Amino acid sequence: MKFIKRLNIGKYPSQWIFFRFDDRLLLISIGALVGSCSGLAALALNRGLIAMFELLGHYRHLWWAFMMPGIGAALSSLFLEKVVKEGAGHGVPEVIYSVSRYGGLMRFRSSFSRLISSCLTIGSGGSAGPEAPVVMSGAAIGSNIAQIFSLNDRQRVALVGCGTAGAVAAIFNAPIAGLVFTIEVIIGEWSALNIVPIAVASVFGAQVCRLLQGNQIAFTHLQFNIDPADTIACLGLAVVTAVVSIMLTRALRLSNRVSHRIHLPVWLKAAIGGCAVGLIGFLLPDVLGEGYHSIQAMVEGTFSNGLLLVALLVFAKIVATSFTLGWGGSGGIFAPCLVIGSFTGLMYHRFIEMLWPGIAWVNEGCFALLGMAGLISGILQAPLTGMFLIVEITGGYEVILPLILVSAISTTLCHSFEPASFYMKDLVEKGHFLRPRTDARVLADLSVSELVEKDCIIVTKDMKLGDFVKIMQKSHRNFFPVEDENSGEFLGLIHLDDIREYLFDPLFYETVFLEQIMDIQVQTVGLDDDLSVILDRMDAGNLYSMPVIANNQFVGMISKATLLDKYRNELIVQTDH
Amino acid sequence: METRLLHIFRNTPLGREVLLQSTYFCKTIGVNPVIYIPEFIKFLMYFENDVAQIDLDGSYLIAPETARAHAVEIVRSQGLPEPNFIEPKNFTASTLPDIPVNFDFMCCPRTVSDLSSKIGLGYIGPRVRRIVQSARFPVLIAGTVSKPWKSVAVMFGGSANAINAFRLGARISRLSGLPMNVYTQLGKHSLDYYKDIIQKKNLSRDMDQYVQNWEVFDAGEFAVNLYNVPHDALVVLGAYGHGVIKEMLFGSTMEKVQSVLPNNLLIAGPKYQASM
Repeated sequence: MKFIKRLNIGKYPSQWIFFRFDDRLLLISIGALVGSCSGLAALALNRGLIAMFELLGHYRHLWWAFMMPGIGAALSSLFLEKVVKEGAGHGVPEVIYSVSRYGGLMRFRSSFSRLISSCLTIGSGGSAGPEAPVVMSGAAIGSNIAQIFSLNDRQRVALVGCGTAGAVAAIFNAPIAGLVFTIEVIIGEWSALNIVPIAVASVFGAQVCRLLQGNQIAFTHLQFNIDPADTIACLGLAVVTAVVSIMLTRALRLSNRVSHRIHLPVWLKAAIGGCAVGLIGFLLPDVLGEGYHSIQAMVEGTFSNGLLLVALLVFAKIVATSFTLGWGGSGGIFAPCLVIGSFTGLMYHRFIEMLWPGIAWVNEGCFALLGMAGLISGILQAPLTGMFLIVEITGGYEVILPLILVSAISTTLCHSFEPASFYMKDLVEKGHFLRPRTDARVLADLSVSELVEKDCIIVTKDMKLGDFVKIMQKSHRNFFPVEDENSGEFLGLIHLDDIREYLFDPLFYETVFLEQIMDIQVQTVGLDDDLSVILDRMDAGNLYSMPVIANNQFVGMISKATLLDKYRNELIVQTDH
Repeated sequence: METRLLHIFRNTPLGREVLLQSTYFCKTIGVNPVIYIPEFIKFLMYFENDVAQIDLDGSYLIAPETARAHAVEIVRSQGLPEPNFIEPKNFTASTLPDIPVNFDFMCCPRTVSDLSSKIGLGYIGPRVRRIVQSARFPVLIAGTVSKPWKSVAVMFGGSANAINAFRLGARISRLSGLPMNVYTQLGKHSLDYYKDIIQKKNLSRDMDQYVQNWEVFDAGEFAVNLYNVPHDALVVLGAYGHGVIKEMLFGSTMEKVQSVLPNNLLIAGPKYQASM
């Protein structure tokens, strides 16, 4: 006991002496742990999917096999809804939401729930990817480890990033893509404080994966000799991938909206969506599952289908992914993006080959890779993630120049038509997308109760104007709230500008009561109102102050001047580190 | 700033009793009730370092069309103004409402996620425990039948949480004007040890001002001695003040008290910082 006391081990981990040494070293140490755990989670899902494919592979040729994705999606939905009681969703938006609004707080159950549900969906043939589930799992692992150690919000967000990076690094064996994806998509803030632990976690995630299943790159590395003609052709590919990205984004949202309008149990909707995918897969088996085998064939140049069939596959995969994810299946869009992107690249290559047969175009596998980068960059609006991911999963830098072009143009075009990426669209629409150091984030970190000015003199409706003038002389304010004498209820507001004509005529002093001249159509705010909404209302009504009311009683005034003053202080705090 | 109590309303006779006790508490110490009528079976509470998902018992969603009117009627019947209702603004995963946690008190029965038939002595549901452990506010655990309380009974065992509970009890006593009694079971320490703590923590003035009687049990089992606590007292106590291992080995005061006393319990968790 004395030894423990000497080590200064308190009741809460945050009090332990270990956690009071250098903040960066602390985050690096715990980040390594989080990265390793996330790597294990990614590996578990990977092994689970392989087992599912092996188990169900024997039945794929049977007539009822089209129902397998439906059964898998229904089980997945039931598991999420009834067993772990977690809301549906792709996973990544939930992580961004938690980082934006709650300092990365996530439920423990999220660290395993999506692994199981996505294993059921994808393993049975659903058109979805395992990346978003492992991202959610890794992020939840990071968050819960931070909670165990009682770390603060900023440290917790960094560990959520570590979990995400470790998971992506492990599932793709791509540590740089893990780091870049986390910073670009999840955290949205390029600061050294975050980058270092996240990079370490990424390394640990990838290393755990390499230790346990070998250092394999996802797709075979091939040498591509890229000519200027190929690079120019990439401009067209960028446009095509942008169009396909927008189609996929809209198809997913449309599918989601349609499914929400249908009043059926969620598991039944998932089953219907899954069976639809099964039917499509019966005709075009390449749309089923995560689809990495098709990508491998396309990159190697052994995918033999013709232009029209490849074009059909692009649309079929978009429809299948929309049915899987929009109707309640569990999984992510990363892998479908890669598959659709490689189909798009291949389709484009076959098209330009048909138009200009005399030009010696680079191997079609190169265009498949560029198509993947274009789709990822377009859907996620994260060009760096697209570039580094393709470089790492193919193990070569030969395609880097056209890769940059395609990623940059696809992102820019998509941004013009869809200002928010697929992951962020819902969050932006609901006002939940709060990036660090942005207006929305600063306002979200302030509350009405911090800004209430209480030095107001309260008057009653029965007060004569003469008495009010005496009180007014003692106050430096222009606003005087009027309350009911008995109930304390807020009745209205006296604004000096509005009653000036009465103030300078003593004849009114004994004849006018405040009830007659007070403003009863006052716009009020509540203690729980969002400051962004309050500011909008002030701007719309050309107001500089508004009364704060709680339980029909006057609490104080909130003014634009105080709000902007606090806003500046908060901005300084947020940009200080 | 106004003091607020969060109440999750259940539109059933049991829910009515719990809300009656909430409003009695609010009226007695001058707190405004803020009511949440659930529209979904699940919701989330984001605390400072924890997020708790509350999976409600299905009875919380009974007769939603009359829930608001019933809640208003109950609150008004106690002479309080019309309560505020929470309309969730934020949703996790688009479907789970996030309920704010910036309250001064919360009231709930012994369990919110299990069937109400489980409510009884010795059982506090896992979600209620989670809230007590994570919240910065004390939790009023109401009994199944509304019963006004006439005094405040504080369980004082000398720990940091017990000191918080003492301060909370003194605050309730000051705000309500009701007498406060303190109960201590002597274990390995003598009474002087507890008196010393009171002195060191600057609680002597509160002891003199608010405490009517300090009842010290120097013999017998704590559970048996608890018979001396009046049936119509609001019992104030701290919870989760010890580490997990210590609680597993020696048990906790909260578990003994909640297993024996059917009174309303006001529990101060480890994150609650008492102020006078």
